[in-house]
This record gives sequence, structure tokens and C-alpha cells, in this order.
Amino acid sequence: MAEQDIALMAHLMRRAGFGATYEELEARAAKGYEATVEELLHPETQPAIQDDILMRYQPQWVSKAGLEGQQEEWTYRMINTKRPLEEKIALFWHHIFCTGHAKCEYPKQQNIELDMFRTLGFGNFEELLMGLSTDPAMVFYLDNCMSHKDAINENWGRELLELFSLGVGMDGNANYSEDDVKEAARAFTGWTVTNSIPRYPYGKYEAAFIYDPSDHDYGEKTFLGETGNFNGEDIVKIVARQPAAARFVARHMYNFFVADEPQVPAWQNTPPRDPEAIKMLEDEYFRSGYDIRSMLRVLFNSDFFKNAQFEKVKSPTETVVGTMRLVGDFDMPRPGLNAMTLTIRYMGQDLLNPPTVEGWHTGREWIDSGTLVERINFTADAVGNTSHRGVQAIINRLGAQGDTISSEQLVDGCLQLLGHYQLADVTRNELVALADSEGELRTGSDEFGTRVGQMLQSIVATTEYLFE
Amino acid sequence: MVLAQRISHVQLQYSHTIGRGEQFGPGFTYPIHMARGEDDLMYVLCRSSEYRPEGTRVTVCTVDEEYVNAFARGVPQQGPHEYNFEDGSLVWPVNVAIASNGNVYVSDEWLHRISMFTRDGEYIGKWDENVGSGDGQLDRPAGVAIDADDNVWVVDGNNHRVQKFTPDGQFLMKFGSYGSGDGELDSPWGIDIDNQGNIYIADWRNDRIQKFSAEGRFLMKFGSSGSGDGEFNRPADVAVDQDGIIYVADWLNDRLQYFDPDGNFCGEKTGEATVSKWGKDKLDANPEMWDERERAPGLERERDFWAPTGVAVDELNRVFVCEGPRNRIQVFQKQALTFMGPRL
Repeated sequence: MAEQDIALMAHLMRRAGFGATYEELEARAAKGYEATVEELLHPETQPAIQDDILMRYQPQWVSKAGLEGQQEEWTYRMINTKRPLEEKIALFWHHIFCTGHAKCEYPKQQNIELDMFRTLGFGNFEELLMGLSTDPAMVFYLDNCMSHKDAINENWGRELLELFSLGVGMDGNANYSEDDVKEAARAFTGWTVTNSIPRYPYGKYEAAFIYDPSDHDYGEKTFLGETGNFNGEDIVKIVARQPAAARFVARHMYNFFVADEPQVPAWQNTPPRDPEAIKMLEDEYFRSGYDIRSMLRVLFNSDFFKNAQFEKVKSPTETVVGTMRLVGDFDMPRPGLNAMTLTIRYMGQDLLNPPTVEGWHTGREWIDSGTLVERINFTADAVGNTSHRGVQAIINRLGAQGDTISSEQLVDGCLQLLGHYQLADVTRNELVALADSEGELRTGSDEFGTRVGQMLQSIVATTEYLFE
Repeated sequence: MVLAQRISHVQLQYSHTIGRGEQFGPGFTYPIHMARGEDDLMYVLCRSSEYRPEGTRVTVCTVDEEYVNAFARGVPQQGPHEYNFEDGSLVWPVNVAIASNGNVYVSDEWLHRISMFTRDGEYIGKWDENVGSGDGQLDRPAGVAIDADDNVWVVDGNNHRVQKFTPDGQFLMKFGSYGSGDGELDSPWGIDIDNQGNIYIADWRNDRIQKFSAEGRFLMKFGSSGSGDGEFNRPADVAVDQDGIIYVADWLNDRLQYFDPDGNFCGEKTGEATVSKWGKDKLDANPEMWDERERAPGLERERDFWAPTGVAVDELNRVFVCEGPRNRIQVFQKQALTFMGPRL
């Protein structure tokens, strides 16, 4: 099998999932690229995680009462799922449609939202926005339950347009006006949630979305140039057919799955990094009737995607989950899961609890002096642990090359088995020199595994390994 | 006209609810199982979670909800691979049982450990931790029950079998193997022993209850997958009263089912919880929550069971159902038979 096929598969699995072992990459490459894309786009064809076993050994995952427990559960799912794009699409929409634990204070409610992303997140964008508009966590998080016919709260109406569907502007023009925000807010009056049962003494209960017709503003509204007695559903329909909605989804997809883009607030005046790619995705948005799965199919099968290897800085979640999948750790629930999961927070991404409704700033903004140290320490600890199944597999493959391997073979072999990582020549030469300084490497020697582990640690400490 | 109504010959009447969510003192943190001790004491095993290890403990209280003490704390882990599993601590505690001398046995399915404490919570010791599948070795021990001779029966979850030990952990016998045939088990969880010495096992992943003789001979099974009468969705625990009535914590069906000694369905309870004494104390200290309760629609949901994992029945025919996610135990009283006879 051509190594370039495996390298391309590694790229696909990093972006449409959280990476894969070399053995999985070989199997998927044999199956074929487009066939793998289809499998990823249809997660229902793969087995689900056995929830009963998870909940037996991690019973707090039944109640989902605490933030850290829910972060553990989601991280565990991302590590162990056979449906990687299902979790990746949930993460994608969570990056955009943020709700935060700091306000919601009930992770089970946010998990209901994640489940919506896992299902509607592949489907029609208009239906997804409707799901979001009626999601109790979001209704509460953005205060639509505090918006009334005689006293609107603009928060939901504003963020629906600014952060969830259109963006402030594109091609130098604004996508909506302040009046549009107010009219949208009027249309969504009466969209609220039930009062909650207090957490004491027996814990929280799920809230339910309700429409209160007595609190709805039935007056005429003018929104994005259209006039009528609009309700929230009408607003969503109008939004979904805007060119700006296509641009919004396309740029977010590009930023998340292809290559780092400027952050959302800059999109009004900063053109896309690859306008042709964005145009392809916009066209597919309208051709398919706003279908997310169709857009993803175009994206993953495109040349612009295939040529964008290592153009993205990994998010903390991708870093931790990808490392765990690679080394084969936490393939069953066990103590230490909490500590492992917390490293995602320490790297700057507190899942289910983003800093603001704008979510996390991605790309190079993930990296600062503190988070960089967290990344390197975590990944180096993991790949340097030669007891891990995935690390053992790398050692065994390299050891099968002969009685001795050269320094070049060690460096290039590790890069290949990590998923065809690429280093700048100067970096690679330094690692070869490092291996040379340790002397001849005999595959049957006691030190072989340790030296492979040390080389893996050196690679994951490079700048290049920050990217995917 | 005579109204004829079929009534089950087993009637459970709701008594009261015990508990509230609390990491320390009066209250529970995910009560996964319990055992009744002497003097109306209850030993409630709180599983809690890795991120709140201080809540992992055995809480001792009375059936009337008087707090006594707590022992055997969980301990925080230091990192993904840095553990602290000192003797007497708990990591994944799953079951508790009490011997005739009052000693308390706790199984821990992460440590593969059986720990022993006095009735007052003083740590006595632990059995040898021999992880494996050989005789006397354990792999994820779950249910624990103690027979009339004080021998300890342990459900050996990952080995899909049951083992019998002396009180200090010496292997005596075993039965069961992986499978779904008669006498075979799939990831069994809870256990109880009737007054004839027969063994009842919550055959968790087979969605059924199996009954064995004290010699480990298969006697009976009932239940299948589903949510109808007599069907189960991962039954977690089983308890048998003095009349042979069998109570099952039907975990993912969020209910208690009960059966006659032959395994015939008698009835179910889906929960009738009310505000406990400790709960009332908490609400009285946060009076705005009383108001919030008044405003909240669907407060009747508070009655319902949520994922019960433990069921126990005592000599007074009181049935205790542990609901981890709700941090409480609902108590029911089995009623006398409708017609006691012998004369009209």
C-alpha cells in the first residue's frame, strides 16, 4: 500500500476524527479514501459505545450532575468512539453554539444539547437552528426566557445573527442591522423554558422548552427586508436562506476542518483564506438545501482539504484525545480519567464552559507559554510510556526492521507511525543527530523501547507537532 | 353489583425517603447500595465520583434518618497514572454487607478488594488482592452477601461467576461461567440469600434473575430484556424477604419490580419519594427553594426512581431502594396479606 495513501488517511482521520493508530490507518487506506469518508459521514453504520458498561463503572455519568464528570464522559466518548465524526461534529457545533456551565450549572442539560448536535448536526442547517432555538440550555444561556412581549431581551436575537448564523458581515458589508436584532428578539418572545425544580435536596431536573403564546409579540415585524407577523420559526427560515448563512457555515467548516482562519469578528472585512474553497462550500449549501453532511462530503473529498495537511493548530481537546487514541490509554473507564481530562482545561479549553458566548479563539491563540508546557508535558508523558499498547505497537514495528536501525530510520519511522508527521529539515536533522549521539541502536537490546519512547517524546515536543 | 378487582398478593406501601445530596455529614453522595445493621442502623455505601472523592464513604444512619457517622473515605488521585489506594480507602465501592458480628464488608470493583470494618467503622483489614480468574481470585467484585454461617459470597463480575469465601477470605467454592444458558452469567452484579440458603443473582447483562442452591446448582431463572412486566433493563440488585418475595432494582427501567417465590411478576414501583427529614432541613435553610418548588411545574417528577442500583429488605419487611443519582433511599413497607384467614 502506498505510504501517501496512509498519509492522506492520517490527515482525514485527524480532521474528521481524533487521529488513529497506524494499524487503523492501514486498514482504512485499504478500504479506500472515499469509502472512509462515507463511513465517517454515516456514523449510524458503526457500533455505538456500550453505555450500560460505562454507567456501571462510572455511575456519575448517569446523573451528569457535575461539570468535571460530564467533561470526563465526553472525553471518554471521543477517545473510544467508533463513530469519530459524530463526536467531532458535536465538538464543531459546541465551538460555535456555545452554552456555558458557569451559567447553566447543569451538565445533563448541556449534554442534551450535545446529543442534538450529534444528530441534527449532520442535517439541515435550518432544522439545526430550530433545534438550537428550542434547546433549553440555550434559551436559558442567552436569556430568551427573560424576553417578553412588552420588554424584549435582545441577547438571543443578537447572538443568533452575529455568532450562530450570519456573522456581523462579509465582503465589507454588514449582514444585518440593529433593527433586525430587535425584530428577531420580538419574534422569539414566548419561546421560553419551564421553571426549574431547585437542586436541593435531590438534585436538578431537566428543563423543558415551552412556547407561551400569551407572551408572544404578534405585531408586524420587518426582518432582513421581509415584513410579516413573524414568529421565531419564520426568523430561522429567513436566516437560513441568506447568502451570509452559507458563508458563515462554510467559513466555520473551513476553520475547524481545513485550516486556521481569522476569528469570527474579523470576517466582515477579512476575506476567506481560500475564497474558491468557500465558494464550493457555499454552492453546496444551497444545492443540497442547507445540508451539512453534503457540505462535509464536498469538503473532505476536495483538493483544498487534501492539500491542507498540518495547516491547523490542534485544539486542546484534539491534542489530548488524539494522544490517548494513539497510545491506547483509557480504552476502559479507570481512575485517572479525571486528571487526564483536566489537562484539556489546563491547555486552555474548558469543555462545556467556554469563556464567552463567542467560544474559544482557535488556531495560534491556543498556544501561550503556559498552555505550551501543558501540551508538551502531557503528550511527552503519554508517548514516552512504553507500557501503553499503542507505544508498544510502534516499538514492535520499528524493531521488525532488522537487528539494528539507523538514526534516520528511527526518526523517520517514528514520524511515520505517529501518522506521517512532517518536520522541517533543520528539526529532523537535529533529531537524527540526537539519535546518533546515543550510539548504535540494536532492536533486540533492552534499551530499544526506551530509546524509541525518547524519540517519540522529542518529536511531540517540536513546533510541528502542535499542528495537524 | 360486586366490584371485582384483581389485586396482587404482595402490597408495598410507601413509607418515607431518606437522604439528600451531601459530601459530608447527614446525606449521601450517589448511594449505590446499602445494608441494614443492628439497632435500625443503615450502612449506606456512597460511590460518589473521582472528581469528588471526599464523598466516597459509608454513611451510617438510622431508618428514622438520624445521622450516626461515616467511614472509609475515597482518596484523590494525583494524575492519570498516579494512584493512592491506601488500605481502608475506597475507589469504586459497589456493595456492602454485614456479618452476624456486625462487621461490615465492602467490595471495590477497581481495587478488586474486599475491605472489612467494624460496626463502628474501624478498619479491620482486607482480603488478599489476587486479581485474576483462578479459584479465590477476583476480577471486579460486585455484589456481596453473607450467609447464615457467616460465609461471604462474592459476585465476581468480570469472571462471570460467584465465589464463596470464609469470613477472612479463604476460598471455599464457586459456580457460574460466562454465557446466557441456564446457570451461566454475563457481568453479574447484585446478590442475596434467602432463609433457605439459596442464592439469587442479578444476571445483569442477561437481563434476568437466577436462583441457585447453596451448592451452586441452578434452580430457576426469570426475566428477559425489555420494559414490560417481568422484563428488565440491566437489573442491578436483588433482595429476598422472609416470605420468599423477590425484589429487583431494575436499573435502566427506573423501577423496582417484585416477584413471588416462583418468579411470577407481582408488581412494580416507579417511585413515590417525598421530602426527607434531611431534605427539609436543607430547604428550611434555603427558604427561597420552597418558593421555587411552588413555582416549578412537574414537581411530581421528584417522586420517580432514577437508576436504582441497590435494594435491601429487612426482618420487618421494609424494602429500601437506593437511588444514586438522586442521593436518596426510598423506603416501602410490605403489607400483610389481604386475607389472613382462617375464618371469615
